[in-house]
Amino acid sequence: MNTVLSDKKAICFFVIPTILIYIAVIFLPIVMSINYSMLKWDGIGKGTFIGFGNYIELFSDSRFLNSVVHSFLFAFVSIFIQLPISLLFALILANGVKGEKFFRTVYFIPVIMSTVVIGQLWSKIYNADYGLLNTFLKAIGLGSLARDWLGREDTALIASFIPILWQYVGYHMLIMYSGAKSISADIYEAAKIDGASAIKTAFKITIPLMKPVLKVSVMFSLIGSLKVFDLIYVLTKGGPFFSTEVPSTYMYTIIFDSYRYGYGSAIAVFIVVECLVLTVLFDKLIKV
Amino acid sequence: MKRAERKRFMLALVAVIIMSLVFTSCSSSEDVKTEDNGEKKEPIRLTIWHQSVGDADPTSKLITEAINEWNEAHPDIIVEEDGVTGEQYKTRIKTALAAGEGPDLCYMWGGSFVQPYIEAGKLLPIDEYVDDTVLSKLIEGTINGCTYNGKIYSLPMYTFIASLYCNTELFEKAGAKIPSTYDELVDAVKKLRAAGITPVVLGEKDRWPGMYWYDIMAMRQAGSDETKAALKDPSKFNSPDFIEAARKLQELVDLGAFNENMFSMSFDEMVTAFANGEAAMIYQGNWIQAAVEDPESPTKGKVVAKPFPVFTDGKGTVTEFYGGAVDGFYINATTPHPKEAAEFLIFLSEKLGKGGYLAGAGLPCWNTEGLDTSNLNPLTVQTADLMKTATSFITWWDNILPAEASEIHKNLVAELLAKKLTPEEFCQQMSQVEGSTLPLN
Repeated sequence: MNTVLSDKKAICFFVIPTILIYIAVIFLPIVMSINYSMLKWDGIGKGTFIGFGNYIELFSDSRFLNSVVHSFLFAFVSIFIQLPISLLFALILANGVKGEKFFRTVYFIPVIMSTVVIGQLWSKIYNADYGLLNTFLKAIGLGSLARDWLGREDTALIASFIPILWQYVGYHMLIMYSGAKSISADIYEAAKIDGASAIKTAFKITIPLMKPVLKVSVMFSLIGSLKVFDLIYVLTKGGPFFSTEVPSTYMYTIIFDSYRYGYGSAIAVFIVVECLVLTVLFDKLIKV
Repeated sequence: MKRAERKRFMLALVAVIIMSLVFTSCSSSEDVKTEDNGEKKEPIRLTIWHQSVGDADPTSKLITEAINEWNEAHPDIIVEEDGVTGEQYKTRIKTALAAGEGPDLCYMWGGSFVQPYIEAGKLLPIDEYVDDTVLSKLIEGTINGCTYNGKIYSLPMYTFIASLYCNTELFEKAGAKIPSTYDELVDAVKKLRAAGITPVVLGEKDRWPGMYWYDIMAMRQAGSDETKAALKDPSKFNSPDFIEAARKLQELVDLGAFNENMFSMSFDEMVTAFANGEAAMIYQGNWIQAAVEDPESPTKGKVVAKPFPVFTDGKGTVTEFYGGAVDGFYINATTPHPKEAAEFLIFLSEKLGKGGYLAGAGLPCWNTEGLDTSNLNPLTVQTADLMKTATSFITWWDNILPAEASEIHKNLVAELLAKKLTPEEFCQQMSQVEGSTLPLN
């Protein structure tokens, strides 16, 4: 086998199909999007070339800028609320509670559920008339708090974030859990002999040793938040009055409802560049 | 691994790759065969895409029946259908036609939806295949919506008009009168509210249901001609009549006419709520009748369809209707079998036009003489009778205005309903949108 792998022709043979597929499904569409983003085009006839016109419009479009703010807000919430919850679960589970496997599976269930199902589930929970949330609030005497959660500008954004956070808690928990589990048992034994408490062990041993895994989680969470689409689309379609709009839902509306393929492509290119730049920056700034 | 073994390994790999190439290209070579061998017994295959799926949609069953009937009668021209639901269908057909990969026949919404495809030459004019015997079977004027630049592109099937559906049981409970003027509407709203009944249910999450309310009110206030003129030249929206219509809509909002959760309610939820008797009125197209007349619906038999109330201070009359949209099937310009596709199109349009009317899917565009209409549900009969009184139609504004303008229009109406805009601001912003280039007969 070694002789095969040191043969350059053989390497090409194995690598080229993957590279071709990669170029065809990832690289080419991006290049084409960049091309489209320079056009004023309704997606049907022929477009006219307008250079950076779409990008100039993009940065003076308050609806777009607001959607970017929403996505960063979401990234912030994901990293500082969702990940700590995941970490807590991961540490508890890795410490070997009773029914470890059972809980691991339960926390992971939302991840494998279809997003549309989750969207329907939560829109029923939030329903103003018969929703679980309002019914619960009324039952415990807090009826004054009951409201149309997804229909009001002040609550819609946070109400649509919560299901996404809920969905991916299990995902990040699993990444962190496997990180925690891969730490050698010897170290824990030594700590135990030295008389370290469980909390001290977590903060002084487990979390520092999990840093590479945590970095991966933060990165996934950041990028995932910036390009979030599906749950927001199912829950609110970006409404009411664009208060839950994120760049990808805005792109969808622009392309498929307003027929502006060129402008929509400019948004797509923005999302790609934004994610790439942040990934590189994050990687450079945080060394583990 | 020895040299000989390596050679064999490489050969095997090459073989695998060649095989996979052969297999993937199989499907396309098959297509070529059917295109060229018209004389051999190989049947022609036509694909048709539509948006009628689901048990509640009567059209879905009719399409399948019509296709089966056609396939039995024409073993040499086999039609294959493929349907997905509305919003997904829009995305799918746009992408496919833009990429030149569309089916032979496709369902299209009329007006500004289909217009860009016709202008880009993506769809086929069918004048040469449609003769007078076909045209004579159509109700007069219904072909207008299928005609662009003097050429026929499609045939009508059935059409829709919007009416005010009133739940008589709830009206009686509140002691309110079914409104025929705006003042009576205001009065009914007050009485219904006082009785703890939601007067009107509106699913504004999807934004177009709210648009229906503003549009009909504008038509009642400004009249059909003035409205058509404004749709062509939106600067005319900035005028007293359209401002007054917006003011009246906000007046209804202030009176609590609409459900409080309208901004989180979707179209489907709205129809369900009305069919469950949770609200007294809904202003919608006749496609909601199936849900109301469902045997298990609690409102079956309790709902009447009325024209939208007239405004005593307005120029619109009760015989001006919102609706009359002509959607239908269109032929892809790149189809290798235009003649067969057109034959099928004529067959399907007539079949759906008549069958759809009898099944309560819509109002007829084809001559219905000789059809047994005794089993029609009362709401279909009522709306069909209403339509007979019509002197003019203006179809859904989002089918008239260009795509971007209709997006802006729907967003503005939503903001008007939320009272984020004054009537003056609303009309000022409406006057900035791009106008329609459709003929609007």
